Amino acid sequence: MSAATTYAGVREAPGTLRVVCALAATEVRRVPRNLFLPLGLAFALWLLLGEIDPATEDWAGSSYEGMAVSSVSLMWGISVAAAIAFQRERVPVALGAAVPEVVRALARLLAMLPLLGLVGGFAALVAWRQRDLGGLTVGEEPGRTLEALQTTPELLQHVALAVLAVALGAALGRRMAHLAAVIPLLFLLWYLAGAFYWLYGHPAVTPFSVIQVQPVLVPIGPADADPLAFPDHWLLAAPNEYQDGWSRRFVSTSLAWWHNGWLLGLAQLLLAAALPSGTLRRCLLVGGVLLAVVSAVAEVRVIP
Amino acid sequence: MIAVLARAALPTSRAIRWTPIAGASALLLVAAMLTAASGRPADLLPAVAAAALASLLVGSLHDPAHDLLAPVPVSAMQRRALRLALMGGAVLLVWTALGLLAQTSPAATAVGSLLALAASGVAVAVWGPARTGVLLGAVVPVLWFAVDQAVPGGGLAADLVGLWRTDPWPVVAVALVVCLMGRHR
Repeated sequence: MSAATTYAGVREAPGTLRVVCALAATEVRRVPRNLFLPLGLAFALWLLLGEIDPATEDWAGSSYEGMAVSSVSLMWGISVAAAIAFQRERVPVALGAAVPEVVRALARLLAMLPLLGLVGGFAALVAWRQRDLGGLTVGEEPGRTLEALQTTPELLQHVALAVLAVALGAALGRRMAHLAAVIPLLFLLWYLAGAFYWLYGHPAVTPFSVIQVQPVLVPIGPADADPLAFPDHWLLAAPNEYQDGWSRRFVSTSLAWWHNGWLLGLAQLLLAAALPSGTLRRCLLVGGVLLAVVSAVAEVRVIP
Repeated sequence: MIAVLARAALPTSRAIRWTPIAGASALLLVAAMLTAASGRPADLLPAVAAAALASLLVGSLHDPAHDLLAPVPVSAMQRRALRLALMGGAVLLVWTALGLLAQTSPAATAVGSLLALAASGVAVAVWGPARTGVLLGAVVPVLWFAVDQAVPGGGLAADLVGLWRTDPWPVVAVALVVCLMGRHR
């Protein structure tokens, strides 16, 4: 007796790109469940639209500086979202998954792209807010302007910070054992970077800072110097309890561009720590070191 | 029981992950030195440190061997207390160093606010779900701090969310009572 044997048609395995997209789509649906993201966004919006006001600013230029750090709480939320996604890689059964870790990591990173879009929208809101206020105050007489607007690279720093936030969250989430330690560490890192930004404003330190807040104070003369002798286009800071002499408030587009390069270099290094060993990781390490070093050197050269 | 806990101290200290508290301490101490060098007032720094350290202290309750140790005669609450005592010692050392390094007012580095946040987090960790209780508890101090920063001053809401700073000891007392009520959990 013979029986005809039929076989089910063999389906071709989906390509890597389809797998990455499918995993990313799943991850994107998970991201909004993170409570920290709406909280961080709400806090950043409250800061930008409610608290930062040139009419009530503490010192000349504090609104301009405050807008550069207004997105810090959102960065914390983004880092936590990335950490939660990458922490899932530490589940023991992940070793038996049908797709390699690097593919899963790429899918998680792809799922973070909408968050970069969100930060891009926030940066646009910052630009709109500055124009709505009619510009911001920077400097003190005789070197002062009432119509300062942040330049494109200064606004794009929010997006570069978001890339860094994703990379930082991914690295800590992947490499640390429990979220109960990751979340406070991320809180501390972002809070120290944002609320104490004035600590990193010295010309020698600011190229290596996380959040670069312009203008950078460059000492130009003693307290008894004649401020009218300085070039007309310089924005000035008068002597006060924290600085002995006159300083120039240095604002530079190229400094801001190079700082964004520095942040992206750091982000590559952190991403390398989140990925398994392999070609991609090596490329990120080499690319990150090159970009960070070149950008930092360029920043040092730009600052007078 | 004290003898048992004393014997458990060494293996427990090996099981605790010290890297997060070491990293956080290094960051805080460097920030304290920088703020002191800058000569500017930095009363916010101890507040940030209190939230982060309290959060890490609660996070040290995470015990991967929790299920394995459930049948042993040392209760979960006693094991928690041991972990808190070990990590708490390190946290208090960092807090003291911070108070010496940072140029802040004495009130800013009073230990009450740190204990209020930590005790509140522990209370949530004790009463929270078995799988996520520690994570929820660890989030409490940093969230409480963040909400306190966001709520505008002058109203009842601001007074309530600022209790950990203004009246920390009643907060500690209430949190401890809540913890004691959950001692069998």
